[in-house]
Amino acid sequence: MDEMTLDTQTAAIRVDGLSRWYGATQALAEVSLALDRGITGLLGPNGAGKTTLLSVLATVAEPDTGQVSVFGLDPRDRSERVEIRRRLGYLPQELRYHRHFTVARFLDYIAILKEMTDRRQRAEEVARVLAATGLEGQARKRIRALSGGMRQRLGIAQALLGHPDLLILDEPTAGLDPEQRLRFRELLSDLPGDPLIVLSTHQADDIAAISPRVVVLLEGRVCFTGTPAELAATADGRVWASGQRDERAHLSWRGGDNLWRNVGDGPPDGAEIIPPTVEDGYLLLAHAAVTR
Amino acid sequence: MTPEPGEPDDAVLLRDVARGDEDALAALYDRHAGWLTVRMTRRCARPDVVDHAVQDTFLAVWREARSYRGSGDVAAFIWGIGIRRLIDLTRRDGAARHRPPWRAAEPQVVVSAEDQVLAGLEHGRLGQALAGLSPELRAAIEATVLDGLTCAEAAVLLGVAEGTVKSRCHRARQALRAALAESPSPARKAWGTP
Amino acid sequence: MTEHFSSGHADRVLLAGYAAGAVDEATAWSIEAHVTACTTCRSALSAQVDAGRLARNRSVLHVRLALGDTGRTRRWGIPDHLLRLLAATPSLRRSWLLSVVGVLAVVTGEAVLARYSLGGPVRGNPSQQALVPFLLVAPLLALAGVAAAFMPWFDPAYRLVAAAPFSGFTLLLVRATSALAVAMVPVACAAFAVPGPSWLPAAFLLPSLAVCALALAAVTVVGPLAAAAAAGAVWVLAVLLLAGAHLPLTVVQWHGQAVAAGVLLAAAAVLFLRHDRIELGWMR
Repeated sequence: MDEMTLDTQTAAIRVDGLSRWYGATQALAEVSLALDRGITGLLGPNGAGKTTLLSVLATVAEPDTGQVSVFGLDPRDRSERVEIRRRLGYLPQELRYHRHFTVARFLDYIAILKEMTDRRQRAEEVARVLAATGLEGQARKRIRALSGGMRQRLGIAQALLGHPDLLILDEPTAGLDPEQRLRFRELLSDLPGDPLIVLSTHQADDIAAISPRVVVLLEGRVCFTGTPAELAATADGRVWASGQRDERAHLSWRGGDNLWRNVGDGPPDGAEIIPPTVEDGYLLLAHAAVTR
Repeated sequence: MTPEPGEPDDAVLLRDVARGDEDALAALYDRHAGWLTVRMTRRCARPDVVDHAVQDTFLAVWREARSYRGSGDVAAFIWGIGIRRLIDLTRRDGAARHRPPWRAAEPQVVVSAEDQVLAGLEHGRLGQALAGLSPELRAAIEATVLDGLTCAEAAVLLGVAEGTVKSRCHRARQALRAALAESPSPARKAWGTP
Repeated sequence: MTEHFSSGHADRVLLAGYAAGAVDEATAWSIEAHVTACTTCRSALSAQVDAGRLARNRSVLHVRLALGDTGRTRRWGIPDHLLRLLAATPSLRRSWLLSVVGVLAVVTGEAVLARYSLGGPVRGNPSQQALVPFLLVAPLLALAGVAAAFMPWFDPAYRLVAAAPFSGFTLLLVRATSALAVAMVPVACAAFAVPGPSWLPAAFLLPSLAVCALALAAVTVVGPLAAAAAAGAVWVLAVLLLAGAHLPLTVVQWHGQAVAAGVLLAAAAVLFLRHDRIELGWMR
């Protein structure tokens, strides 16, 4: 991980030994991270703790143990928490809306919650985020009349209000079709001001396309931090093709070219080793965590 | 946006706006926002105030479209609303203190006397008489005569006291009368009509 | 200089000069008067303005229309942004109001029926017992509206509220005040219909305020559910105890009002001192 040595003292977000429980369940176990400007992808299956980690960073949930520092501010302190929120844009998982709201009025409401008391400023901001997410024609539409993809775009739009320095997006591409995912990636790369973006997903190919940094979270623990290429490289020599399903592989599935793709620790001798993808690396890690 | 033949004219659009047709308002905006912006910029140098005034104007047109009685140009109706929106904003911001800087500069595009006659832009003598006034007197005339503002409204727009506006108008009229009385002029078209 | 006005229209050079503020006043005035009447020159002049600026104002105008912007920053003395927050208050939705009216109708109807089934107009305590359901329910309806203001389950976007810098206390106060005001109207109306003393409609205000203030003050100490439950329980206990002693109306008579005033003041004090601990949606 040499090319990624972040000076942890000056990193914009520092997490040290963070743990959090929900009742008896431990959602996060001793998580330590350092994040800087740019996009970081949080990869992991449902229940891995991604939402919990993002909730803590978004000052919605309190850390039980450990230290968290966001732009030098401590979310445990109330006034510093509010200061973090002034620089924050947050898209929670499965955001629900007041369904009677129109798109414009909902965004106006969120803009007020972000302390924009001047109505002209709010109208300009709302117009700006509507344009950025391609929702200009929907301003008067009621949210309950929107499609799932548009509702997701609305969620991204509200997070963009106020030019946040920190964008926390929990499963932002859920419910988006491939063309919308592409537009979402373009949107993220076009944001002015170079905000720190953390987004989560359970799909490895999404991560590879969007973020230069990946953190793999499994069962509340960080199992990998690095670039997507490095994640793929962890599966080097452990991915092979075959004519039929190979029982020795952890996972084996038929690809589009009618060849079976096998991922596992022991490729048989003479097997056709093929270059690994990010997903292969992720699958191997997930398997290792499950069989630990 | 010049309306193509077959497209509704402004009065029809305004009637549609009065009935709640937002597309008609958008069409009116596309036709009129441009000249409105320029005309307002000549009276207030702050582009953000002008932007707000233009938006406020069309919002007011949306609300007040019903009060258009079909007399006079729609553009004049819009300007009547617009100048008052501009005055409202000026009253709040004190933007009048930021008069456009070019008022003092030398005019760079000069229309020759022949062109004026050719085009019927016959303000030759009047134009000379006006040029003889100081900028403040001209501004007072513009506000009260051209824009049709009351002295109180003109005072807000120009950033001076109401009494000052009154006395400037008075002096301007006296000076114009004197200048125009100097020699008789041939019959000409009334000033301001194309 | 070539002709600027041929065929009765201003040419591009003249308009460009006008747009840049480079013509003298008299020419400018002539152009302005002309443009008011001439569609060709109007569109030519529009071309001189930055298209991006016009487009930007157009989209902001569209948004302001969609927001119902009337140009006023205050209505009834309240800042416009606080009024807009009310639009997200669950207890101001029609469905909620209908439920409140429904519940009130039930307890009012019950009180009316109970009284008349005892045969004849009110005399003595037995018919006062018929008022107990009404006495129980009326302030609890106001409490329910206020509780909906601080319990996450009633706010679909509560995580966005939690992650926003806006003062939780201000938001809660705005929502709670409106919830209370709105609940008091049907309660007062129902109190007119209920067979009880003539001062009954006005008698609910102070106890309802007290119960709600108690809940708000409790929110600064315990969690939202516990706070709402505690405040409700206090009221239910008071009514039931007095009903058991055959003095149900005491809770809204002079003694009751005095106690309510005391609770209100105490709760208001606690709320005032601890208001910055209110963080809607914050998960410990």
